[in-house]
Amino acid sequence: MDLETAKERAGPREFSPADDLPEEYRKAATRMIEFHANSEIMGAYLERPFIRQAPSIDRKLAFSAKVQDEIGHGQLLYRAAESLGVKTREEMLDDLANGDGKFLNCFHYPMEDWVETPMIAFFVDGAAMRRQATLRRTSWEPYAHAMDKVCFEEGFHVKHGEDILAELMSGSKKEQRMTQEAFEEWWPRIIQFFGPTDDKSTHHDFAASVGLKQQSNDQLRNAFLDQYIPKARKYGLEIPDEPRIRERDDGTYEVAEDDLDWDEFFTIAKNDYEPGLDQINGRKAAQEAVQWVRDTIEGDASAAGGHAPQAAD
Amino acid sequence: MIWEVFRQEKTGRYHTHCGNVHAPDREMAKQFAAIQHGRRKPTNSLWVVPREEIGEIDSEDVAFGGTTDKSYRWATAYNTTGTDASEVVESEDEQATAERQRGDD
Repeated sequence: MDLETAKERAGPREFSPADDLPEEYRKAATRMIEFHANSEIMGAYLERPFIRQAPSIDRKLAFSAKVQDEIGHGQLLYRAAESLGVKTREEMLDDLANGDGKFLNCFHYPMEDWVETPMIAFFVDGAAMRRQATLRRTSWEPYAHAMDKVCFEEGFHVKHGEDILAELMSGSKKEQRMTQEAFEEWWPRIIQFFGPTDDKSTHHDFAASVGLKQQSNDQLRNAFLDQYIPKARKYGLEIPDEPRIRERDDGTYEVAEDDLDWDEFFTIAKNDYEPGLDQINGRKAAQEAVQWVRDTIEGDASAAGGHAPQAAD
Repeated sequence: MIWEVFRQEKTGRYHTHCGNVHAPDREMAKQFAAIQHGRRKPTNSLWVVPREEIGEIDSEDVAFGGTTDKSYRWATAYNTTGTDASEVVESEDEQATAERQRGDD
């Protein structure tokens, strides 16, 4: 199939591994899905320490279930990506370990305190879900199928995150203050989740023309703000003065893009941001620590022979 | 030889098991499947798979789980205030449906 035909045919779930797709399509889809898969994995690693740090058994169970889900989402997505025939799962995981694999800006920042957990588990997951719901209509069928399962599970993540936020914001004065501070720190990053504005987005036009992407960065950011600003206010969070956000007459929002730190965003996008490198190397170390498990599963029993089994953390 | 048949109603949907046909080879199995399973209900595509190629593991071989109370991993377990995003509501509805069907099959 040539590119023109692919653009003409592009529709929800239109293409499957049975189609002979142009290289441009397969490369763009691989780039997009690999980024998504890497983000699931890196997000899971960011949240994993909070299985131990959870303040109650219920939170511990829920966090453990959530982290397990996210790793599973990563695996589903690598599968959807490798079915395009451009890169194997091993190549994608190796690239993630050696710092070449790209992933979401928010997962490059360290997360240290429990009050930060709803910033990821409610706001970032809520943002991700806004985007993922639109991707159930993507043109690459295996990607859409992965989104079906991801969206099925993700509702629990968002509501659990919201429940933590509700608890913190109805807790002690100190908890409320610390949560507000965490929100102020994370808010600009969360807005940058959707990437640069449409006029500065390099990959959008092609991805949209072949039906991979369903909505632009601006549309998604608007849909997110529309839903989550009222939610934040409801729990008593104050929206920071910067970045400036203006509500238009039609109820949509305009963000003053110049108020956001785009130098930092693009440093992160190149995997050059120092704290992000710690995240990447931390996952690499965990991956290597449990190599003996994979070797054992693959039947190469001798490989685990000389090494004392290690825990990943 | 028995071939299990999976039907897909519309492009992009899942192929779900709908029955089987007896046929000596793959070509005949496809033709029989089209006649027996693709004529009455809307069909976009059919798969035929030799029965012996299907791997099965059942509840006598393994304890499948799904019987422990894991309400903490369902959206329905969390009460939040205000209107939820439509996709969160949709996910919660899908989970509630799955929860209701638990034990039905």
